[in-house]
Amino acid sequence: MKHNSTARTLAVLVLLGVAAFPLYWMLVTSLTPSERLFDATPNLLPTLSQIGTYAAAFTETSLRQWLVNSLIVAVGTTVLSILLSVLPAYALSRLTFNGKLLLGFALFMTQMLPEAMLVVPLYDIFTKLSLLNTLLGLILANTAFTVPVVTWILKGAIDGVPSEIEEAARVDGCSRLGIVLAVVVPLIAPTLAAAAVIAFFHGWNEYVFAQTFISDDALRTASVGLASFVGELSTPVHTVMAVGFIYTLPAVVFYLFVQRYVVAGMTTGGVKG
Amino acid sequence: MKPFLSAITGITPLLAGGLAAALALGTASVALAQSSDKSASGKTVVTFAASHFAEVGRGDRLKAWVEKFNQSQPDIEVKPVTIPFSSFATTIFTQMGGNGGPDVIRFDLPEFYAAVAAKSVLPIDDIVKDGAHTFTAADQYMKVEGKRYGFAFDTANYAMVYNAALLPNGTPPKTFEEFVKLGKEATKDGNYGFAFRATMAERGGVWYDLTNFVYGFGGRWSKPDGTPTFNSPEVVAGVAAYKTVYDAGMIPKGTDAATYRRMFWEGKVAMEIDNGGVATILTSQGKAHPIAAAPSPFPHKEQGMILAPVTINANTKVKDAAGKFLQWALQPQQQQELQTLLGAANVATTVERTPEELQAMPWLKVYDAQTPNSVPALPQGLETKAPEIQQIIVQQLLKVLQGGVAPQTAMDEAQRLITARVLAQK
Repeated sequence: MKHNSTARTLAVLVLLGVAAFPLYWMLVTSLTPSERLFDATPNLLPTLSQIGTYAAAFTETSLRQWLVNSLIVAVGTTVLSILLSVLPAYALSRLTFNGKLLLGFALFMTQMLPEAMLVVPLYDIFTKLSLLNTLLGLILANTAFTVPVVTWILKGAIDGVPSEIEEAARVDGCSRLGIVLAVVVPLIAPTLAAAAVIAFFHGWNEYVFAQTFISDDALRTASVGLASFVGELSTPVHTVMAVGFIYTLPAVVFYLFVQRYVVAGMTTGGVKG
Repeated sequence: MKPFLSAITGITPLLAGGLAAALALGTASVALAQSSDKSASGKTVVTFAASHFAEVGRGDRLKAWVEKFNQSQPDIEVKPVTIPFSSFATTIFTQMGGNGGPDVIRFDLPEFYAAVAAKSVLPIDDIVKDGAHTFTAADQYMKVEGKRYGFAFDTANYAMVYNAALLPNGTPPKTFEEFVKLGKEATKDGNYGFAFRATMAERGGVWYDLTNFVYGFGGRWSKPDGTPTFNSPEVVAGVAAYKTVYDAGMIPKGTDAATYRRMFWEGKVAMEIDNGGVATILTSQGKAHPIAAAPSPFPHKEQGMILAPVTINANTKVKDAAGKFLQWALQPQQQQELQTLLGAANVATTVERTPEELQAMPWLKVYDAQTPNSVPALPQGLETKAPEIQQIIVQQLLKVLQGGVAPQTAMDEAQRLITARVLAQK
């Protein structure tokens, strides 16, 4: 038994190492002295003498502003996606109406079109609506991409909610909207968290819209700011790695914050009866 | 199942706060939107996009140069727009397709010709008069069907830069055979003799590197009338030479240009054939490993040339203000300063090097001496088809390098594909 436990621990540690290695390597590279950057034998441990790279990332670049902008876009996308997805998800799950199947399919149609194909017409529309160079524009564009996914995820969760619970609420005089908000939504909270993670990551990582719609340096998101270090003639490797490392942290923290709900969401409905 | 509110106690405040913050800041950012072409101070804003702005060193110097214009103007403000080089052309063309984009754009030559063909940039004959400036020879490429669409923001020649400390005798090779021999000998102890690009991810860069080999062996991509010569003996000789270097084990295979240039200034690469802009960065960054320059070690002197025009977006609403900026940029003092900040590159007009520049960068002489032998890397007469042609040529080159296909076979196929797929298009 003890033997099994040790093997399991080892396996977990190996998997953890594999998953975390890219992050670790970014950290090591960002802290490796320039002259050792291309050594035939790679540096396996970070060198604290280079820690100033991180301070410089904040003082000599606009990283702080980029992170704030990304956070606004990611949180805005998450909140708006959840708000706009709950009712359609409920309708697709519970209501019967003409064209229901078509509506559900149409929602996924947007997912079949790559961002690159939509970016030109969206740019034109955003110009007319004065949404270019605004974070609100980015939030709206990103939300358009996440709402279908979130809607279908939530629909799956609502399908798993016993209809008897809703009927009991209706007998007690609760309205349809009240049932959704007071009964259904609490029951699918873990799935909501999982959907929020997906929406947040999309908003946090999105590049094409952020690059195309924003030209004001003060409104750049971190994904675009990070790419801006990769130049035609040279790339400051330390800075790229340091900024990249910092850029991944908020997304990791957000995931750690909601991961217990995500796990619950993924296992919800796994066992019935 | 926990009640909703308690189950997500940690999330609800975050979401609510996030919503409030997002909407508030989003609304605020709407207010900040550049819906008009006026800045907060009431000046007419001209946006100017150039991939230079993202570069270490040169980017800040170029911004300072632009700021000089702003200081001199009571009514106009030029705002630099930083777009990463890797997505510069895509972003600009996307924005132009959406009826927007920066007012002034520093394009690379292929994109310039594509933009002219698409009528996405304005003729500027009314802004830039031919006789008013002493333009360099590269200016001939700025006109299409008799109309001027821009002027050369920067041009750069190609030559070999080397780190004498890594070469066996400290002297550069004069012939191709000597070059390969020295490159192999310098490849030891984690160092490499040479570096060039050989991946589809850097298609544009591969094209320029290969062009130097092709021109150096006497080839041209096309005849002046646009007749393709992609499978001529000279072009095939250049491709075969590329393959020889690739197979010699003297390059860090798969390394992108930004990385191997960094390796060069860290003293890990002995030789490179690169343009003057790169040479400037190598010298400014790699002070511990001073570089020298020599003509490229090929049988013929001809090498490619980087030519980057500056032009005005057809979607601009501030053409007059943009024109004033371009006129300012062409003044002798501005040209002198621009050439100095760009390093081993030339500008639109003829500007003599100062003694101070030549003393600080003696290798500039090698680059400047290359000017009569520099030829634009685009296939002459087929400039607007360059992106599709580059795609096919680089695909065939990779078959030679990695797939064992004979250079003649690959270039015959390239000629066939380009004729059938690209040149057959109206």
